[in-house]
Amino acid sequence: MLESLPCGGLKETDKETGEMEKYKPFTYGKRRGDPWGDEKKEVKILIEVKNLTKRYGNHTAVDNLSFTVEKGQVLGFLGPNGAGKTTTMNIITGYISATEGSVTVNGVDVFDAPEEVKKMIGYLPEFPPLYPEMTVREYLNFAADLKKVPKSERKEMVERVMDSTMITPMADRLIKHLSKGYKQRVGLAQAILGYPELIILDEPTVGLDPKQIIEIRELIKELSKNHTVILSSHIMQEVSAVCDLVMIIDKGRLILQDKPENLSAQLGSTGGLKLSVKGSRDAVLAALKNISRVTQIEEREAVSDGVVELTLHCPEKDDIREEVFYAMCDARIPVLEMQSVRMSLEDIFLKVTGQSDMEASQSDIEASLPQEDGATDAMTTQAVGESTANTEDQEVDSDAGDL
Amino acid sequence: MLAIYKKELRSYFNSMIGYVFMAFFLLIIGVYFFVQNLFYGYANFEYTLSSITFIFVILAPLLTMRLMAEENKQKTDQLLLTSPVTATSIVVGKLLAVFSLYGFIMLITCFYPLILSLYGTVTFATAYSSILAFTLMGGAYLAIGLFISSLTDSQIVAAVISFVVFLLTILMDGIAGVLPTDNKSAVIIFTAFLLILCIILYRMMHNLTIAAGIGVIGEAALVAAYLLKPTFFDGSVANVLGWLSIVKRFDNFYYGIFDVAGLVYYVSIAGLFTFLTVQVIKKKRWS
Repeated sequence: MLESLPCGGLKETDKETGEMEKYKPFTYGKRRGDPWGDEKKEVKILIEVKNLTKRYGNHTAVDNLSFTVEKGQVLGFLGPNGAGKTTTMNIITGYISATEGSVTVNGVDVFDAPEEVKKMIGYLPEFPPLYPEMTVREYLNFAADLKKVPKSERKEMVERVMDSTMITPMADRLIKHLSKGYKQRVGLAQAILGYPELIILDEPTVGLDPKQIIEIRELIKELSKNHTVILSSHIMQEVSAVCDLVMIIDKGRLILQDKPENLSAQLGSTGGLKLSVKGSRDAVLAALKNISRVTQIEEREAVSDGVVELTLHCPEKDDIREEVFYAMCDARIPVLEMQSVRMSLEDIFLKVTGQSDMEASQSDIEASLPQEDGATDAMTTQAVGESTANTEDQEVDSDAGDL
Repeated sequence: MLAIYKKELRSYFNSMIGYVFMAFFLLIIGVYFFVQNLFYGYANFEYTLSSITFIFVILAPLLTMRLMAEENKQKTDQLLLTSPVTATSIVVGKLLAVFSLYGFIMLITCFYPLILSLYGTVTFATAYSSILAFTLMGGAYLAIGLFISSLTDSQIVAAVISFVVFLLTILMDGIAGVLPTDNKSAVIIFTAFLLILCIILYRMMHNLTIAAGIGVIGEAALVAAYLLKPTFFDGSVANVLGWLSIVKRFDNFYYGIFDVAGLVYYVSIAGLFTFLTVQVIKKKRWS
């Protein structure tokens, strides 16, 4: 099927370099070299979104969004609720139309040939589109039928998909009797059915327990070997765990696009120093006073008696570890633990979306970051209306984040 | 299309609705058949069918209310519309499914004239042509019901609106009889129609300019026609209401006339509302 598409010509090696040249400057800024163009020889653009805009009356849900996704990549949309993630996905899948701009998948325009594009996409919407009166197996058979999976392969494919999403034990239960986590996985199974080239998942791990989240992430990683995946989330851990590329979206605009590991490097690696020392509080604070580069000292709750837990903040890129060590040595205070705090994706996210009303500890970290960072010039710093810091999600993250 | 057809048909029998519909329909036909044909001894099955045209007012909404409304509510339309199937095949698949269920009942009724022939002479031609017309009339009602269902995401709303609309199509003939027939009243009545049409258009398109524009142009045309050629309105109200009266077309079959125009009318109504439903679904993408 794909050979017949206009994009098929891209496979030829002689065209490849030309195409790569064309897209390289867009995907990554001139700040660094292309991070993976050298490793992956066969770079092909699967999705190209150009100047996408969606307006509802006066409200602009997606504002002039442009990006490209290469084959085999896992792209993560990150943004607060109402940032335009779902709208963008709905437009790519052809469920709604854009006000302006274009989307091409494999060289086929979504607006011109929606059926052609829909064949290449598996979509798990925000609310899994399930028929409560059907059993899981019936539903998946129906979905396979809709996706025009040949009858000979259907049965086997449904079993395989149920296996990989771990819903086989529920195969003959009515969907209305399933828990939210299982419903989510049935929706995911539906998206994978037919093994389309592009799989789009809108908040795939919502409502799952930590163990299931890990399993689904493993599944997404597994899928990314053969498929291109776009997933959206407002959970940073999720994105950093599975994505090759993160796009932070706020108010329908692209704010930042980078690899997850580069994001924190780009925005400064140290948020401070976590220190756990044995001694009296006053003595420790007196010793630390001598270090001029420490801008702020924050006390954390001590776990055991006689141990002082502190978080030290210092200017960006400064390494104060040695100084702290010698200061403690001079004061004869044993250091039990010392760890530099890396900025998490949460912090980056909050920083670029300009979130102001958040927990004290986070605002401290944020406040200590320099504002003149080169990377921030492209960012907007408007306040975000809705709160993104969902405590439940974050708890789940810390459980499941250690992949 | 086949996938949707099978799914819809199965869903009628997964829930009670399919069984309730068939049982109730056959019960009503059976009672009328017994009273009119067996008890009073009329050999014309078309008499029975003609007296139960009201059945659609009650039973058709029962079948069609969930067709699109339920998909809209459960957000499963998102699955259908992001799958490689066209809006047309979704709508046609659904209509065919509901029509098959209804057609199955009509197949059963095909036995009634045969039963009747055991007791005397039955003109099969009029009996079966009336069954054909009755089947197509049902198709028209189901298509209208499907269209109404696609406009809302609540089954109840779909059922109530369908009920009112179907009731109007049955009462239309009677309404036409009592309305004043002079030309001035005709203009007023048509203005009222125009207003309703504009409100529906505005509800569907959310575009005041287009709705008001059509209203103004239509009204201007009405007034112009009234001033320039008043005879244009002679008997026009009854005529127009007659177009809307779906059951009136069945009268010819009651008298034993094979009315091709009536059959074409039913098929056209079904086609028109299928088309409109497809447009409603396609439009959703652009809202």
